[in-house]
Amino acid sequence: MKIAVLLSAGRHPVSGAAVLPRMEAQAIRLAAGLGEAIGLHAGPDAAAVREALGLGLARIEHVAIPEGGDPVPALIARLAALAPDLVLAGRRGQGGAESGIVPYALADALDLLLIPDVIAVTSGDGAGTLTLDQSLGRGALRRVSLRGPVLATVHPDAPPPLAYAYGRARRGSIDGLGSAPTLTAGPDMAVEERPYRRRPKLVKGAPTGGSAAERLKAATGESGSAAKGRLLVEPDPEEAAREILAYLRQIGVLAASSGASSDASTPTP
Amino acid sequence: MTRLRRDPRAERTAIQVAGAARPRYDRTARRSSSGSGRPRRDPRAERAGQRVVGEARPRFDLSQVIRVEGPVIADTQPRATTAPAPPKILIVEDPAFLVAVVPDAPGGRLSAHDRQVLGAARALAGREGAVALLTLGACEGPGPAGADRWIRLDDGTEAYDPAGRAARIAAALNGLKPRHILFPESLDGGDLARRVAVRMGEPLFTNAEVVAANGLVRPAKGRRVEQRIAPGLLTTVAPDAVADYAGPPREARPVAVETEAASPAKLRILAAARVPADPATVPLALAEFVASAGNGITDLDTFRTLVAALRATPGASRVLCDAGLMPRHTQVGASGTVLAATCYFALGISGAPQHLQGVAGCEHVVAVNTDLHAAMIERAGLAIVQDAQIVMPALLRLLAQETGETP
Ligand SMILES: Cc1cc2nc3c(=O)[nH]c(=O)nc-3n(C[C@H](O)[C@H](O)[C@H](O)COP(=O)(O)OP(=O)(O)OC[C@H]3O[C@@H](n4cnc5c(N)ncnc54)[C@H](O)[C@@H]3O)c2cc1C
Ligand SMILES: Nc1ncnc2c1ncn2[C@@H]1O[C@H](COP(=O)(O)O)[C@@H](O)[C@H]1O
Repeated sequence: MKIAVLLSAGRHPVSGAAVLPRMEAQAIRLAAGLGEAIGLHAGPDAAAVREALGLGLARIEHVAIPEGGDPVPALIARLAALAPDLVLAGRRGQGGAESGIVPYALADALDLLLIPDVIAVTSGDGAGTLTLDQSLGRGALRRVSLRGPVLATVHPDAPPPLAYAYGRARRGSIDGLGSAPTLTAGPDMAVEERPYRRRPKLVKGAPTGGSAAERLKAATGESGSAAKGRLLVEPDPEEAAREILAYLRQIGVLAASSGASSDASTPTP
Repeated sequence: MTRLRRDPRAERTAIQVAGAARPRYDRTARRSSSGSGRPRRDPRAERAGQRVVGEARPRFDLSQVIRVEGPVIADTQPRATTAPAPPKILIVEDPAFLVAVVPDAPGGRLSAHDRQVLGAARALAGREGAVALLTLGACEGPGPAGADRWIRLDDGTEAYDPAGRAARIAAALNGLKPRHILFPESLDGGDLARRVAVRMGEPLFTNAEVVAANGLVRPAKGRRVEQRIAPGLLTTVAPDAVADYAGPPREARPVAVETEAASPAKLRILAAARVPADPATVPLALAEFVASAGNGITDLDTFRTLVAALRATPGASRVLCDAGLMPRHTQVGASGTVLAATCYFALGISGAPQHLQGVAGCEHVVAVNTDLHAAMIERAGLAIVQDAQIVMPALLRLLAQETGETP
């Protein structure tokens, strides 16, 4: 199976130093369990992704594009030539706009199937089939079996990256593939940049209007669910149990049983 | 030539209002018999006289100056509260433009994030615009959440086909021609937004933390800078960044849009099955529903059976973890795990501040405790003051009964 891992030049979120984004390192690990993988990077400088050699890739292909150019056309051209069965990318870049649109643009241009937020890849039973586990959040998964070629983006819940090995990093090679002919600017948006300003966290259930006293109440948790809560003092245990189950069903955390009374399954307006 | 001697006691008993359990006095009666002769002002009664009747919020007509001469007592009696009139539904008849919202609506309910996106859309729409909600299949309560129009596409097939879904939504959006389109930046919503953006060939402004008519703001470069832009066509809205719509309910008028039937795509996805999280093994921080035991629980075997029967993730307070009765990784609180659960079920937990910190993000709390004054009881949406030791078996019995009824 031919696997390509898309590598971008990331920046560490805290220090700002050049690093390989963690999700791409995780992608290398997923690829390592399946077969030989090559890395693919489009950017002005290949040194940005050298770290990926130590994390398990033997070979990286580098398409040089000018600073600030759009990597998508260069990546499309190279991937069309490679025709891999599986392309792995991070779900979001790191250190740039962090929009995560590159994989979607590639999948659209190359007519690849795109499966987002993958945490495990195994080869399926049939020839050319793959089974991907997609994270649905909160520990739930969707197991998708499909026929390749496929582009999958990696979710942070995937297994952690392999340890960096110096020897492997020395042995690996980066092949320059010449440069993309023209500078194509990305889909540009006239953004205005300034230093990040933290915004106050939204207080759940706080009234947008209302007096200061009401907002304080909401912030200290005295309003909201607590204020309109129901209090049963010394109920019959059976009665208490019924109330609890009805409440749990109403908010939808407990599956309704068909024997349950109808008012228990009516959701909140 | 002596002045009549006053007898304050007798005066007070004369003006005492009969019938009240607490002694109450009608001091307006006194002024007619004695005193300076100048009518005494009663600011409260004057104020009450200025009140405009029939409104839920108190409103006062200050142009009226009313001298109320009647007894004050009559006013201070609790008045029958008029039932609040059903809120008026706001209608935007002829909107200047549309702001479309494509929610996740898992299971046909708007999630908290969806409501925030609707709130953001409402802010963009302002007075002239209308918010159009675009859902695949049913959706509950779009009007109160702030939608003026509701486009309901049919569900289509159950099979997992994100590309086909994006194609249908893009087609509907092309038919609708909104000025702005908002998506939640969630797992599903973010994926859909990017597919739609690529399909429409439009740039996408992702993860907006501020949504206003004069600009959108998103963090970039690892939150070291923020980028500002005038609202464009496609935007995804970050979670917990924008407030829900809080105004009166809106119309959510059903609208139909013509979409050309999408050509069936090549089916390359052979099968897709949802593997639900196993509540017993899912990490506590990710769990949806946590049932927790505290120092008030002595019968931990029943507790464990109950947790399994409710399909909840087990949690515990620090006391139980310190005592070795529950594993350390189940500890909820400041020095344990901070939960992101939808519902927290606390059995025999007092609700120490260190424990409540771990529960701060939970939307619903159910508490069973013998102590009426426990902090957990105060925090709970459903609080039951009862011995947890007898409520747990009752719950188990009820659950067993239900499963027995439905084989
Ligand atoms: C630095 C620091 C960090 C801490 N971090 C944490 C933390 O992360 N998590 C944490 O949980 N704690 C933490 N604590 C401990 C915390 O302060 C409390 O001591 C602890 O949460 C109390 O646990 P509890 O509610 O189970 O026990 P108790 O306070 O003993 O409460 C037991 C409750 O059960 C009720 N009860 C008794 N019998 C019954 C019955 N039969 N049926 C129903 N109810 C009954 C009682 O009325 C009482 O309200 C921390 C403390 C410190 C100092
Ligand atoms: N210049 C690039 N070269 C190779 N892969 C890239 C490049 N830019 C982005 N990618 C891939 O696309 C993913 C999402 O990036 P982005 O769209 O920039 O958030 C990244 O995690 C990479 O896997």
